[in-house]
Amino acid sequence: MAPPLLSVEGLQVQFHTRDGIVRAVDGVDYSVGRGETLGIVGESGSGKTVSSLALLRLVPPPARIAAGRVMFEGEDLLAKPERELGAIRGRRIAMVFQNPATSLNPIYSIGSQLGEILRWHEKLDRAAAEARILSLLDLVGITDPATRLRQYPHELSGGMKQRIGIARALLCNPALLLADEPTTALDVTIQAQILDLLADLRQRLGMAMVLVTHDMGVVARMADRITVMYAGRVCETASAATLFSAPRHPYTRALLESMPRIDHRYTGPRQLLPTIAGRPPGLLNPPAGCRFAARCPEAMAECRTTLPVETVVAPGHSVSCIRHGSQGIAA
Amino acid sequence: MEGSIALAAPPRPPGIWRQGWFRFRRNRGGMLGLVLVGLVVLVALTCFLVAPYDPNDQSAMLRGASRQGPSWAHLLGTDRNGYDVLSRVLYGAPTALAVGLGAMLIASILGTIIGGIAGYVGGMVDEVLMRCAEFFLVIPVFIVILAVVRLFGIMVVGTALERVPHLNLMTIIALLGLFGWPPIARMARAEFLRLKQADFVEAAICIGATRRDILLRHILPNALPSLIVLVALGIGGAILAETMVSFLGFGDPKAVSWGQLLYFNYESLKVAPWGSVAPGVAIFVTVLGFNLLADGLTDAFNPRLRQ
Repeated sequence: MAPPLLSVEGLQVQFHTRDGIVRAVDGVDYSVGRGETLGIVGESGSGKTVSSLALLRLVPPPARIAAGRVMFEGEDLLAKPERELGAIRGRRIAMVFQNPATSLNPIYSIGSQLGEILRWHEKLDRAAAEARILSLLDLVGITDPATRLRQYPHELSGGMKQRIGIARALLCNPALLLADEPTTALDVTIQAQILDLLADLRQRLGMAMVLVTHDMGVVARMADRITVMYAGRVCETASAATLFSAPRHPYTRALLESMPRIDHRYTGPRQLLPTIAGRPPGLLNPPAGCRFAARCPEAMAECRTTLPVETVVAPGHSVSCIRHGSQGIAA
Repeated sequence: MEGSIALAAPPRPPGIWRQGWFRFRRNRGGMLGLVLVGLVVLVALTCFLVAPYDPNDQSAMLRGASRQGPSWAHLLGTDRNGYDVLSRVLYGAPTALAVGLGAMLIASILGTIIGGIAGYVGGMVDEVLMRCAEFFLVIPVFIVILAVVRLFGIMVVGTALERVPHLNLMTIIALLGLFGWPPIARMARAEFLRLKQADFVEAAICIGATRRDILLRHILPNALPSLIVLVALGIGGAILAETMVSFLGFGDPKAVSWGQLLYFNYESLKVAPWGSVAPGVAIFVTVLGFNLLADGLTDAFNPRLRQ
């Protein structure tokens, strides 16, 4: 098997605060193959965004990448000098941001904002750059691209801005696209359009994609494989089909159960949507054992004391759970 | 892509500056300020042509015609030293502008660099620079200016510096600039601090922007509108400050300054009020103009500040 395009090994990101060290990402491993879409799911504060920013060493202070390797195209991005990393950012690995309204600089027109990337990375002349930008705007489904080129971000709608954001990410034909909640700030109909666009572009351009989201519905339709994160650690990684049909980790199961479903009649006296009781642990002094133990309906005494190790339970399916991590079906 | 699309160039939509101008144009106070400032600038540029007399022409005194009321020969009369008041007031405009613009040029360069570094780097550097700004903020500027002008004036006697024209005025401008930067630095710090965390800055880093590009292309231009408001306000303040220094008799004896005209003439306020009123009005109009302009700019660039 060829080595994956991107593999993250033992990534740790820590926030050094006045109260102590917060382990936002505490030993995360995942990999993305060429042309593959990996969905990273987790609730707020699970470390999904920080871990994806860390790939490009973009964690804001006081955060620090404490350990780990990020192997991309055979090189460790965490060990590279800043200057060389600048040549990878935007060119080989590009990013689509959560909020299109604020991720475009308000004082430059779309054309000059996109042109700057080509100037940095490809040293294109003005005419060639403009032609490239126009064709990309066309590709991301923007009507009348020549007019848009001269417009400013505030004149465009949210969905349009996100399309521009995607076009910006694609300008240099990246091998990997990091999409951090690309649809969270958009309304539902636009969300669907943007997701379709991303799926279509990924297929056409053959890029790999890391899709970070808290929306199970989004990963369900987009991802080939899914990694579920909880409190800075990976709970479970499986192909999308397996994860939805046969989840192993109690957290994954609870997460899936608390998704509202249109074809499900909720039983019980008040017909409530099931939720996960309690809240995620503070990461300043995380519990000794499994991070989910306190909320886990199936927790055993051992779960509170021993950190579970990631175990492969089936090809392409790994779980970090003491109870459900064994090869056989746990009782 | 058909060529025809590119040929039919659509009208250029307004950017942040044009939009600011649209809002500014609707602001009556701001427009009045702009007109007043424009008037002062016009006078400063043309005083050499329109002034009826040389500003150093004291011949009226020799004719016994000092302290004369307005007449056709002297539209605003003559003052107690026999100068033509109108010519002196007109020639005061370039001095006032030189003081205001010069001092604020120094202050805004210092303030933007110091505040920008403090905000962008943060941490200990920020702490030290901002304490430094507070130190400059609490020093009584006037005392320093009076002392330095006086001491410096004595020190240069007999040296080559003595022959530098308007040395006193330049000292005052430099000092006003040197003590005027803290408010600008504070604003620049706040803006840099806010903007360095802006999503579009992060996006720029993500697409491989260098630090220089981030600072000069992404952060600074977005901070400028707030800074310009402060600078416009500071120009009026600097002019007023120089006026006060001159009024106390510490101004540049060779420069024609409104404050100095007041200083020369306040003693004959009862006999020849025009000698004091004319420069007073000039100061009032200029400072009011810059303050209204700053107000208008605030509304134009930060419309949310005033609901």
